[in-house]
Amino acid sequence: MQADRPIAPSSLSVKDLPWQIAWNRDLCTLCGRCTAVCPVHAIEPGVFRKRSLTQAAGLLEKPREEVSVFYGIRQKTDPAYACVGCAMCNMVCPNGAITPVKSDEAQKLVYHLNQGGQPRRRGGRRNAPPGILDRIKFIRISMLTDPALDAGRHEFEMRTLLGRVLPPEDTLTHVRDNGWMPPVREIYPLMIGSMSFGALSPTMWEGLVMGVSYLNEELGMPVRMCTGEGGCPPRLLRSRFLKYIILQIASGYFGWDEIIHALPEMREDPCAIEIKYGQGAKPGDGGLLMWHKVNRLIAAIRGVPQGVSLPSPPTHQTKYSIEESVAKMIQSMYMAWGFRVPVYPKISGTSTALAVLNNLTRNPFAGGLAIDGEDGGTGAAYNVSMDHMGHPIATNIRDAYLTLARLGKQNELPLIAGGGIGKTGNLAANAASLIMLGASAVQIGKYAMQAGAGCLGSEGDRCNICNIGRCPKGITSQDPRLYRRLDPEKVAERIVDIFVSFDQELKKIVAPLGRSTSLPIGMADALGIDDYHASERLNIRYVV
Amino acid sequence: MEPLREIVIKGFESGTRVESRTLEERVQDAVAKGYRRIRCEARGQHGIGGRLWKAGDQKVLVEVSGPPGQRVGSMGSPNTTVVVLGPASDDTGWLNAGAEIIVLGNAGNGTANAMAQGKVMVAGNIGARGMTMTKANPRFAPPELWILGSAGDYFAEFMAGGTAVVCGHEPQDPSNVLGYRPCVGMVRGRIVFRGPHKGFSLVDAKLAPIDDATYEWLAAGLRYFLDKIGRPELFKKLSNRPDWRVLEARAPHEKQGAGRRSMGRFYEEVWEKELGKGAMLGDLLNVSRGAVPVIATGEWRRFVPVWENKAYMPPCEAGCPTGIPVRERWRLIREGRLDEAVDMALAYTPFPATVCGYLCPNLCMQGCTRPDFAMAPVDVTRLGKASIQAKVPELPPLSGKRVAVIGGGPAGVSIAWQLRMRGHEAVLFDMEARLGGKISGLIPESRIPGDVLDAELKRMRDVLPHIHLKQRLEKTDVQRLKSDYDYVVVASGAGKSRTLNVPGASLAVLANDFLKSAKAGTLKPGARVVIIGAGNVGCDVAAEAHRFGAKNIVLIDAQDPASFGKERKEAEAAGAKFLWPRFTKEITQGGVVLSTGETLPADTVVISIGDVPDTAYLPESVETGRGYVKVDADYKTTDPRIFAVGDAVKPGLLTDAIGAGRKAAGVIAALLEDRGRQTFQRKMIDKRRVTLEYFDPRVTEFEDISACASQCASCGACRDCGICETVCPRGAISRVALKDGFERRADADKCIGCGFCAGVCPCGIWDLVENAPMG
Repeated sequence: MQADRPIAPSSLSVKDLPWQIAWNRDLCTLCGRCTAVCPVHAIEPGVFRKRSLTQAAGLLEKPREEVSVFYGIRQKTDPAYACVGCAMCNMVCPNGAITPVKSDEAQKLVYHLNQGGQPRRRGGRRNAPPGILDRIKFIRISMLTDPALDAGRHEFEMRTLLGRVLPPEDTLTHVRDNGWMPPVREIYPLMIGSMSFGALSPTMWEGLVMGVSYLNEELGMPVRMCTGEGGCPPRLLRSRFLKYIILQIASGYFGWDEIIHALPEMREDPCAIEIKYGQGAKPGDGGLLMWHKVNRLIAAIRGVPQGVSLPSPPTHQTKYSIEESVAKMIQSMYMAWGFRVPVYPKISGTSTALAVLNNLTRNPFAGGLAIDGEDGGTGAAYNVSMDHMGHPIATNIRDAYLTLARLGKQNELPLIAGGGIGKTGNLAANAASLIMLGASAVQIGKYAMQAGAGCLGSEGDRCNICNIGRCPKGITSQDPRLYRRLDPEKVAERIVDIFVSFDQELKKIVAPLGRSTSLPIGMADALGIDDYHASERLNIRYVV
Repeated sequence: MEPLREIVIKGFESGTRVESRTLEERVQDAVAKGYRRIRCEARGQHGIGGRLWKAGDQKVLVEVSGPPGQRVGSMGSPNTTVVVLGPASDDTGWLNAGAEIIVLGNAGNGTANAMAQGKVMVAGNIGARGMTMTKANPRFAPPELWILGSAGDYFAEFMAGGTAVVCGHEPQDPSNVLGYRPCVGMVRGRIVFRGPHKGFSLVDAKLAPIDDATYEWLAAGLRYFLDKIGRPELFKKLSNRPDWRVLEARAPHEKQGAGRRSMGRFYEEVWEKELGKGAMLGDLLNVSRGAVPVIATGEWRRFVPVWENKAYMPPCEAGCPTGIPVRERWRLIREGRLDEAVDMALAYTPFPATVCGYLCPNLCMQGCTRPDFAMAPVDVTRLGKASIQAKVPELPPLSGKRVAVIGGGPAGVSIAWQLRMRGHEAVLFDMEARLGGKISGLIPESRIPGDVLDAELKRMRDVLPHIHLKQRLEKTDVQRLKSDYDYVVVASGAGKSRTLNVPGASLAVLANDFLKSAKAGTLKPGARVVIIGAGNVGCDVAAEAHRFGAKNIVLIDAQDPASFGKERKEAEAAGAKFLWPRFTKEITQGGVVLSTGETLPADTVVISIGDVPDTAYLPESVETGRGYVKVDADYKTTDPRIFAVGDAVKPGLLTDAIGAGRKAAGVIAALLEDRGRQTFQRKMIDKRRVTLEYFDPRVTEFEDISACASQCASCGACRDCGICETVCPRGAISRVALKDGFERRADADKCIGCGFCAGVCPCGIWDLVENAPMG
């Protein structure tokens, strides 16, 4: 109902909203499915008053008036109920009578998303067009020179190493002098990055692990997945599938007492331990799982009381320097599994990445360095952190790799790149670019949600409501009514499809390089870009 | 047929190897000359025996002794038979277009690569990438490769037609006759083989048992093959049908995800088996496999409609300080029960006609939902005026408890009336000769017809027989009342006009005195009247001054005058001028001197800046503050036996006084009856729940009481229109008759929680709430 009252500063028209509901009265059957499914109550059943006038020709009579009422769907304009463009209404509409349409001009809602002084928070990823990765091309296509391989016919071993790789000449002396060799895992170069149990729904999480386990056990692809900071289900900790899992520890330490209690019953070591110091999507900010998402299940897995908010501080409370972080955290995590499990830190993309890297090169316990670039995703962050903070992954990885190369350690400390890989769907191309720029492996998160479960979020600011737990696809919700919409087996199938097709595309890219058994890590002479400054900065070829 | 003319062509002459080009020329030349049997002593020459089409339909036999080079019989013609008497090098039969090529030893890599027609028969094993890129052209018979022993690695890659037969006799690797990783990219054709294998490309090929037709074809071909390579004795051993299997190319539509275990089976056979029943979360969650639909019913609905009939107060009732249930009265009228609607008022106020019908600014109408949406509020004054007919209900017998009420104005009468309605005796004391306080004494008759007031006062006297008028009480009297009565109520109003502390103030008339003499008909104002204080009382003064002959009336105020409504309109109609801000410095015979020095000439000056209670008669036990009696939320003064209501406590509207009387009566009755009180107060309904689109916005005046009733949206109380039942897209809503009325229910098994019922309800009864938390 349009108020015949004074407008308020935040009174908006539909035109001011980023998404406008186009509703077709002729096609609508008033079945109620759209209003039942809308995750944010952006639409409501409406009662419309209709006044009709009829005038007989000839001016002999006065016009006749009729006031009647009809029913339909109305879009709300209150900023709290602004349409998020998810288009679930369209998905459930039997007649295609309703769909959100992106506004054709700059939205005004953005000025009003801070009601009560609370800046906008959301899930998703940087609302920005594709970055530099999509512009990089693979220019070294060997036909008769390297010689070329056939991606469809030749066998490839797309593997990478995770853990500190000692130089061959040092290996024997290291064992002799130290009685210990850093553990190294041979894994698939595309990993599923850290997404916590809690940020993700139980069905999504189980689907991911099931898919990863299938890839390992049925297809022989050693794909690994990081838990994120939300603990790990007790049964998984005690199963053989644990070896496909990288356990993450972060500043909230959620679920770690359950992991410690499970140690005596573990039949396998986890693949690795990731220590999270930063996240690309929200650099300098911590996580927060709101109390209403902390139900019985989450409480059990995280080892916390039910119904309380769970903040992960931006920093670890007892660590104040790189030296302390390395000395304390890495040592502690190694000890938990008898020095059999590689441990590596993860930081957000930053101009200070090289300082961290330099420290790690001097510590033989450091099993790698994961850098999460500005295009990384998250379940909840301040919009300002997501859109305006962070460092692009390409130059961070390139600088880190070239620094290692100068130190002669480029094959010793694996770099793991993350953040917006496959942001526009070009997963293999983006991953291969980062590998050739110097990454030993790449991590994906949101790509797995989009391709694996049909996440609707986009950099056009579509949906992106993971933070409020009302994901219409059931990917980031803890409400069974929503997450049971997602079938874990179907997610697992899609994860398998993603990796198998990625594998095929990666082979298509590396086959012309004549590579079949070793990844072209740092092989930047195969890369070109049509931007001169970018080519200079990345130290790759300028091609036009 | 002419006998074959035979020629020997040497690949090695005079200690020198003949070039491939020279040998090829000699062979082609011999064929052109009519030689049809060529014995070629080879020394590694390329492509021997290929392309002999010059012989036309005539058969050509090329026997190769010595080591041939690569691509024996390549691009072979259908008329050609090549027999290599020993082993052959790579690519034997490359691009064979119909020749029969027999190798009596082993053959190298790429045997039959890209073969399109013809046969290649090998009496031993072959190397890597045999039978790769083969074709099957519909114009010709498909190609065949026969291998007595085993195939090398990467066999049948990109095979696109023909049949490869691998007999597995004395294979190179006894554990694997098909080599490493066969059939990658195979799209057509088949491999008939005998012996063990170590896997093949599951995406591209599939294993099948050998069928009758294939076996018959195999048996016939096998005899021919063994004859050709001179090993007929092996037929018995090799023709044992159970030893043979067939690998066929998958059709394109079969390739997708072929050879993988389904995820459903993985779940059952691997996932759940390792993790336990219910898999990863089976110990923590009780969930079944599979997904729930997006549009769900019952417990899977996200939202649930609730029928909240009369759960909230309508805005009219919430706005009325007296608390009259206006919405219920309109309902009764809609139901044709006008008398009940009228009588109902007396349960709430003794002045339904006087106040609701005339004197009240009608806060119920101000609160009405309709004006929020630019529609005229339902006119309650019509109902008020009709209430002159209201019949007093039968009074309950007296309890023996007695309450003394000091003051017969609206507050005092209200509390006495309410106490009597509850069966307690109330005795009224008033200083004036007439009941009604300001209503009777001050408010001009232009605003309240005398007969209406008289009728209501008479009704009141019937209910309250013990009224002592003209009783000015002193402190001692109050003490006596305290001992004689159970409780004493102070409702003596604010009868003392405030005056100004300026020189000459005594020259002015106080508003109350002015209005009192107007009411008595004795008023004689001068021609020019200045009224200091332009509130509603000031407006009444102006109207009355005009009525009694004043010509020039000016109201001044220190600020924007607070007057409003009927009073303001009547003053304006009397031609009164409003001036502000104006500050009075002095009052003289000539008029009012302002702080600016200007004088407003006046024959009569009236001070109308508010009233204060006269509390001098109250005992010390009753505290006052700023001139008013202090009370708590229950209207109790600091003396526990004395209550106070009305303007003596806080200046307000008539309805405020009446409402305070009613509420305080409830408190006192509870004390008298020695019981607890229900303090629960329903919240007012959110007006946005009400749907006014059902009403015609052009209706701004109401013909009669029934027209008013019909336009009332009945905020928060079901009108029983049944729209929700019809609109519900699932037919989930039904009307259920109850002992004392009815209710509407939404069937959980049908409802999807779309909220249509809540959205279309005219009265805002249905709400859509989140379903009970799950998990």
